[in-house]
Amino acid sequence: MLTIENLHARVGGREILKGLTLHVPAGEVHAIMGPNGSGKSTLAQVLAGREDYEVTAGRVLYLGQDLLALPPEERARAGVFLAFQYPIEIPGVNNAYLLKAALNAQRHARGEPPIDAFEFMSLIKKKMEVVHAPKEFLNRSVNQGFSGGEKKRNEILQMLMLEPRLAVLDETDSGLDVDALRIVAHGVNSLRSPERSMLVVTHYERLLELIVPDRVHVLAGGRIVKSGDRDLARQLDQRGYDWVQTGAQA
Amino acid sequence: MTDATPLPLIERPLPGARVTWPARRAALAELEVAGWPQKRQERWRYTDLEPLRRDDFATAPPPGDAERRAAGALLARAAGTAPRLAFVDGHFCSELSSVLPAGLEALDLDARWSEFEGRWAGHVATKDHPLAALNTAFSQHGLWLRVAPGCVVDAPVHVVHVGSSRERLAAQPRLVIEVGERARITLIEQIVDAGAGSGWLNSVVQLRQAAGSHVDLYRLQRHGERQAHTSLLTADLAAEAELTAGYVDLGSRLARNDVDITLRERGARAELFGLFVPGPGQHIDNHTTIVHAAPETRSDEAFRGVIGERGHGVFNGKVVVRPKAQRIDARQSNDNLLLGEHCEIDTKPELEIYADDVKCSHGSTVGELDADQLFYLRARGIDAADAREMLTSAFAASVLERVRDAAFRQSLLDLVTARLRTLAEEPT
Repeated sequence: MLTIENLHARVGGREILKGLTLHVPAGEVHAIMGPNGSGKSTLAQVLAGREDYEVTAGRVLYLGQDLLALPPEERARAGVFLAFQYPIEIPGVNNAYLLKAALNAQRHARGEPPIDAFEFMSLIKKKMEVVHAPKEFLNRSVNQGFSGGEKKRNEILQMLMLEPRLAVLDETDSGLDVDALRIVAHGVNSLRSPERSMLVVTHYERLLELIVPDRVHVLAGGRIVKSGDRDLARQLDQRGYDWVQTGAQA
Repeated sequence: MTDATPLPLIERPLPGARVTWPARRAALAELEVAGWPQKRQERWRYTDLEPLRRDDFATAPPPGDAERRAAGALLARAAGTAPRLAFVDGHFCSELSSVLPAGLEALDLDARWSEFEGRWAGHVATKDHPLAALNTAFSQHGLWLRVAPGCVVDAPVHVVHVGSSRERLAAQPRLVIEVGERARITLIEQIVDAGAGSGWLNSVVQLRQAAGSHVDLYRLQRHGERQAHTSLLTADLAAEAELTAGYVDLGSRLARNDVDITLRERGARAELFGLFVPGPGQHIDNHTTIVHAAPETRSDEAFRGVIGERGHGVFNGKVVVRPKAQRIDARQSNDNLLLGEHCEIDTKPELEIYADDVKCSHGSTVGELDADQLFYLRARGIDAADAREMLTSAFAASVLERVRDAAFRQSLLDLVTARLRTLAEEPT
């Protein structure tokens, strides 16, 4: 599904990713853990196509095609979804309008007709139940005046609507209380399938108790320094990142 | 400083009945004293009216049959079947207007000019508004609209100005609106042209609201692209009167709107907002003054500019708080979005506060589309051009939320969206 080879990327002249290599097969959920400043969010933004990040070396293959050659919107239409760490507020753009426009952009790219209003409403109602979204969600401006938890739930709602092939969740657990975390995790788990892969970027192990990963990678200094199964996450939780980083340097 | 160039139109014979000539001559004399607006004057620093003086405009004569026929179709399109008051080339045309709802009276201003002058003396300061004197001198078939005390008019009444687009004509419409105690009315002023003529509309609207009255006054300017437009609205509010005034400017090559609102008595409130969208070669200037003359008055002003490539916008918002006007609340904002690399906005708030127990705030912003918002939309599959259009429309739409009449709000949203789409497609 996703193959990243020797990826180097910089922002503002500073190199953040320094030879990152990662392979995520179809149907698997991989967790990326690591200390602050290790490059986790940079990786997520580069995969989504943020133009401020300059890729200086390496390549990214998604379903066999060169992902880095595509503008952000084409990546999204091809099934790549980034759940933002800090979802953006867009005053004046209606939440339901955005969801419909996003869905139709994807359908258009697949040569399908726009979704009809009735079908859209019944679909979105179903998805809103999964993330316990109140009815007002639809008629509010995108993320405007949303609490931290509501913003994260809104990201997951978008993901459920768009049904991506590759979902990248950037610190989706940050700022969530236990109940909200459960709701979000339930939303993510409901999407797990053999055709879909997920990259879960997180600082804490607690999310991985709820979204159980197939593989865990430790990102430090812009590279993957250690990979393992879910036990690795538990070890990190108990022993901290210094243990891995020291090990990596040694 | 003297200037040899004669004032425009002045060499022409005065229009109208002989009884109005003394008033017209007096207005011309005032105009001579005040002088034609000059860029060296602060009020006119960003807007050059010199071309209007140089161009050889003639006073628009009353419309003939051909002009009336052309206007009829435009009137129907603008106002539908709603009650309407029609002006063609600045002349009120009763036969193109509809029957007004009960409680409304449409009077011939020319016939009652001396009564009007007696009761409204000093309502317009010629020193600040020389073009109002020009209007007084040459306006013909003006309209005096009266709303009876206690009268509540539910459906909006449209005031439609149609320009016949005959070349080099200056139309001088005059509208006086007098709203009785506790009366309520919504007026929608629309300005359209039959063709792409190079005329000039110089409009004066004078509004006086008695205690406890409510007026919503929306004005949509969609002139042809070679038209010049100057307008003045003066509003005078008695105790607890409430005015909502909304200005949308999409057309013309040059537009200058002056709005002077005086909150004369305790508890008067004004909401003033606007959206101006100058595209290539267009110049749109909004100059507003709100005077808090009494305690516990409130004003809330918000103008937004979307400036297209090679467009020029101006906003000047003055708020005056008189010495005895304590416990007032005045808010003002002007936010501007620049769409091109060669666009200009000149924005200036002016506060003159002579009372000490007041709440005043003002702010202005100038910016481009937000890169984070653009990326967020693109990351959801929306292509860059659509994302830009979505954000630009949202920026413009937020100020139109203030329009209370739902049908008119929707038609404004549609027009603005279409206008923004055209701007986006302009070659830069």
